[in-house]
Amino acid sequence: MNTTTAKGSHLGRISVIAMHAFTQLVRMKVFYFLAVFAVIAIASNFFDLPQHEGPESVGINVLRSIKSWSLGTMTLFSVVLSIVATALLLPKDVEDRTLYTILAKPVPRFDYLAGKLLGVILLVFVSLALMDGLMTLVLHIRTGIVLDQQIEMAHNMGWPQEAIDSLKTETMANAPNWSLQGAVFAVFLRASIMASLALLISTFSTSTLFTTIISFLIYFIGHFQADARDAYLQAGAAGEGVCARLASLAISLVLPDFQLFNVIDAVIEGQAFPLFLLAKLTFIGLFYAVFFTMASWFIFAEKEF
Amino acid sequence: MTDPTPAVEIRNLVKDFKTSFRRQMLRAVDDVSIRIMPGEVYGLIGPNGSGKSTTMKALLGLVAPTAGTCAIFGKDSLKVDSRNDVGFLPENPYFYKHLSGAETLRFYGKLCGLRGKLLENRVSELLALVDLESARDRRIGGYSKGMLQRIGLAQALIQEPRLVILDEPTAGVDPIGSRQIRDLIMKLRERGITVFLCSHLLEQVQEVCDHVGIIFRGRMVKEGRLEDLIAIEDQTEIILKDASPELISQITALVGSSAGTSIIRTGKPRTTLERLFLRETTKGDDR
Repeated sequence: MNTTTAKGSHLGRISVIAMHAFTQLVRMKVFYFLAVFAVIAIASNFFDLPQHEGPESVGINVLRSIKSWSLGTMTLFSVVLSIVATALLLPKDVEDRTLYTILAKPVPRFDYLAGKLLGVILLVFVSLALMDGLMTLVLHIRTGIVLDQQIEMAHNMGWPQEAIDSLKTETMANAPNWSLQGAVFAVFLRASIMASLALLISTFSTSTLFTTIISFLIYFIGHFQADARDAYLQAGAAGEGVCARLASLAISLVLPDFQLFNVIDAVIEGQAFPLFLLAKLTFIGLFYAVFFTMASWFIFAEKEF
Repeated sequence: MTDPTPAVEIRNLVKDFKTSFRRQMLRAVDDVSIRIMPGEVYGLIGPNGSGKSTTMKALLGLVAPTAGTCAIFGKDSLKVDSRNDVGFLPENPYFYKHLSGAETLRFYGKLCGLRGKLLENRVSELLALVDLESARDRRIGGYSKGMLQRIGLAQALIQEPRLVILDEPTAGVDPIGSRQIRDLIMKLRERGITVFLCSHLLEQVQEVCDHVGIIFRGRMVKEGRLEDLIAIEDQTEIILKDASPELISQITALVGSSAGTSIIRTGKPRTTLERLFLRETTKGDDR
């Protein structure tokens, strides 16, 4: 129920619909949650347990606490935003009949879907960029304070310069760095996958609530994808039934392995984000976003209104 | 020379829908054929649930025909390019409430490939046409029902389509708003734009359409030129102004002397309640 030429370019129409979806969500005042994030980012400064050990322990926990709370909040907001916003946009257009007026224009259905998805992804990106900026600022200021405290304490305790330098290096591993930005990007990728998955579900779902619940359920199951894959690979040897094998195969093929995103936890602990892993996550994110969008189009192209 | 390609050509359209009992099919449209030539104003009338909206949706590619074909200016309705030349106003439309009237038109204009000065001029022109210049920067959420219908008509016209499809354009609109929309349809006809509208408000259809089709339970039961369909062939109407009683007597005597001719009714023609309402409310505006 689609295809062939229409006035204007695909890219032009997709960007118009994307910017419109973005504006629509912004005018729904979704950015109010940034105030909540600001409170969390600042409050996380005070989650520092009292230390009675050497300078190496002073303030490290608070830096980790800032990263942990901030990235955790980013994950929560980005996943909720991507699922709920996507689940909301399509049924709302159908219900209000605005979809008729759009599809009655020379707009291919793929352009409409891609535009809506990109609008949500743009919103998630902007939200994460703002939260990232705030987290980096808070972390940068706090790192400076922590370093001053550590150096002062180390001098008082008569540490040699090499030991102080080593302490500085260790502390700076918890300061804002490229690994931390990589972790935020991983949060963005995961949210993008969830937005495209919610888009797929909303093409055949009958309500926003159904789409939201199923999407969250799949997000939860996605964390066990690796286990499902292992279960499938080892099922033959274990002598499991065909149904169990097929279920584990379906889960491992259709869902991304969200356990790969556990690298974010390692970054919180001050470890580096390996570049190859970032590339792998980017590839996985793109693959699933495209896969789910194409599947959405496949269903939406034949849908009747 | 007129364009020989029909603006709308629906051939033997059949549309079945699955009912909740999956095995049973409901036939919403049954072998309907419609041909509308460029410049015509065609009214499809019928009771609720008779298949009017489904026919229009099939023409717009929003539903796929079970059998038969639909074409707009010779282009298959299932292809996107057929929509380059068509504007559509659905029944009871709700546009994006977060946009103003001008932003709404800009959004639809951009979807049709319009940009820059051309788009801005078109937006201003259409807002003037539908008399919404004063509400151009007001959010759609605050528009009345009549204003929504008019902005809906403006968005349907944004890319200067040669065909406009209107599904119940005056549903739920007060008499003044309804009159404004009818005037707009008249303007479209003057501009040579083909109009395909469906309604169950018969008086309205009679006023604006030159061709009508009556659809009932999914089947086209009557179709043709409005004048041909509603004319009573063996009667003639003469309406006189300021005629004296003597003149009426003379005419009556003349008719009585003519073999085979009789007067069925004489009296004063009556205005409609709608015209009376409009006259009185317009006076109110003047005061």
